[in-house]
Amino acid sequence: MKILVINAGSSSVKYQLFDMHNESVLAAGKVERIGMDTAILSHEPYNKPEVREVSEILDHTTAIRKVLNLIVHKEHGVIDSVNDIHAVGHRIVHGGESFHESVLVTPAVKNKIKQLFDLAPLHNPAHIMGINAVEANMPDVPQVVVFDTAFHQTMDRKSFLYPIPMQLYNRHKIRKYGFHGTSHMYVSRQAAKYMGRPIEELKIVTCHIGNGASVTAVDGGISADTSMGLTPLEGLMMGTRSGDIDPAIVPYVIGKEDLTIQEVSSMLNKHSGLFAISGISSDMREIVEAMEAGNENAKLAFEMYEYRLRKYIGAYAAAMNGIDAIVFTAGIGENSWQLRERVCSNLTYLGVELDREANRTRSDKDRRISKEGSKVDVLVIPTNEELMIARDTFDIIVSTATHPQEMEETD
Amino acid sequence: MKKIGVVGLGTMGQGIAEMLAHNGLEVHVVEQTQEKLEQGLEYIEMSLDKRIEKWALTQSEKKLILTRIHLHEHIQNLSKCDLIIETISEDLEAKKEVFRSLGELCEEHVILASNSSTLSITEIAGVTKFPGRVIGLHFIHPVSNIDIVEIIRGLQTSDETFQRSKAFIEEHISKKGILVYESPGYVTTRLICTLINEAVHVYSEGVASAEDIDTAMRVGYGFKHGPLEMADRFGLDAVLAALERMFRDYGDLKYRPAVLLRKMVRAGQLGVKTGNGFFTYDEDGDRM
Repeated sequence: MKILVINAGSSSVKYQLFDMHNESVLAAGKVERIGMDTAILSHEPYNKPEVREVSEILDHTTAIRKVLNLIVHKEHGVIDSVNDIHAVGHRIVHGGESFHESVLVTPAVKNKIKQLFDLAPLHNPAHIMGINAVEANMPDVPQVVVFDTAFHQTMDRKSFLYPIPMQLYNRHKIRKYGFHGTSHMYVSRQAAKYMGRPIEELKIVTCHIGNGASVTAVDGGISADTSMGLTPLEGLMMGTRSGDIDPAIVPYVIGKEDLTIQEVSSMLNKHSGLFAISGISSDMREIVEAMEAGNENAKLAFEMYEYRLRKYIGAYAAAMNGIDAIVFTAGIGENSWQLRERVCSNLTYLGVELDREANRTRSDKDRRISKEGSKVDVLVIPTNEELMIARDTFDIIVSTATHPQEMEETD
Repeated sequence: MKKIGVVGLGTMGQGIAEMLAHNGLEVHVVEQTQEKLEQGLEYIEMSLDKRIEKWALTQSEKKLILTRIHLHEHIQNLSKCDLIIETISEDLEAKKEVFRSLGELCEEHVILASNSSTLSITEIAGVTKFPGRVIGLHFIHPVSNIDIVEIIRGLQTSDETFQRSKAFIEEHISKKGILVYESPGYVTTRLICTLINEAVHVYSEGVASAEDIDTAMRVGYGFKHGPLEMADRFGLDAVLAALERMFRDYGDLKYRPAVLLRKMVRAGQLGVKTGNGFFTYDEDGDRM
């Protein structure tokens, strides 16, 4: 069975085509600058040279059509006919409280995603464009939506509510939702598999640290708490995002600097984090390089980043009353041995014993970087959100094929 | 609507072009000379830099915005635009000339808008081919920060033109559009200039100091700036011109410009742009 995974942004579409027999990627690529006469399509078919095209692509429907044409192209294609694609899985950023798991797309599901536009004004409208574009090109192919927030819907009220007037939750659903759920779920399951233990009996802290970054307390396989909140601004210090700060800073700065709400929001999202403290970059590799070359501000940025991450790991160990494993994933988590080393060498009280050699060894495989006998396992698990989306899509398609009546019940 | 034309790159043209490009639209700007185009673009860059200082933008966003602004010396280059906004100086004959050319140049579905705050849309539409697509879009300075647009219907403006313009304002550039029928000063200019004029009277009668008049309105009624500082920011010459036009058109004494306002304009104390008006300002336009 072939499954196409789509991640639609407002002016871009990323895709991967999976063969679910062996979960291999047949082709991957993206369309950028949709809406322009110089849109760029790059297509990487497995075992064939990459293709790059610049042409006018004015909407998502055209973008998907061009992608499908390439997938079945005589020279650059990987399958014979579009009919070989059995289903399409979409990444959706915000599922609000409506979605606890991935579901088959129906008109009712689309409506619910639309109702969540307020909570994710940049992302959800683009996702709907992606769904409609697939519908226009492949009207008979079932589609599945996989939500970044769904994994965290298991959080208890005491974790997801903010201690502010309850009316705000009742009226506007202001609460913690959390993000990167697909990734936290994937790496926690992979970790359990790697450790050879049932996930139900494990307390795992997963650190998804890339451009955006969040930590999740995965207790017995379910998300018990996570560091991102109503929006992806809460929690860890990130490349250009502040993460946790005293909320009173916002009105104070508005008064002192004569800023608008939009300016403060832009300041916290795009002008803070590593970039603000180091003054040189939002990229961890450049921060580490500069730090090693003696740049004091880069050193401070690194130390703050590490300190804030470590505090969350400690907090979640306390939240779960225990910790069996720490998992690092995403760009920084998978690649920055310096950061992992610093975090782990400051967690010895928890029983973390880092294997410095293993930590420094580069690899793109799942791996353990703690010493044999360390009370807490430390693992690096490369994340694979697309595969997770493909798997969910596959499972739902197979189960609706066996129980067709469920298709009617999804709303 | 993806491609927007802007005729004129003065203060309003710059603000409108910058705001449109910031909203992801491709902007095609026309000015008479290369020199004026370059100068206008330079002011846009300065304005973007000021916003970066306020953390509203990043360097890469600035670059992206600038790549969306395309400069042209000839109005013919606008023929492929979906909407064209004219922002040249308030001179009826010159505006008619622009609309006459645009009318010939653009297909019927292209909306032709004027940013005029006082001139008659009906009269401008009268010289334009397919007058039903002519409308007024009155933006307020500074365009990036003020989220209201007066949408002015002339006598011939079609429902479709109005609906499409309103949808553009509210969906593409996330501002609020209000419907205004043609009338001197519309809503915003008429009300604010009357208030400013009255504030100048209060000041010149010695009832209260400039500082206290502004404080009263800022603190008392939630104005961001008091009426006298507002006059300084608009330019006292612009306020005087608007009042004189309304005084002439309505014939009502309530629009007669205060004597002090006239005197200050004669003295060249025009507000922020000359560094002094009712208050004094530094080069960045901040109150001293």
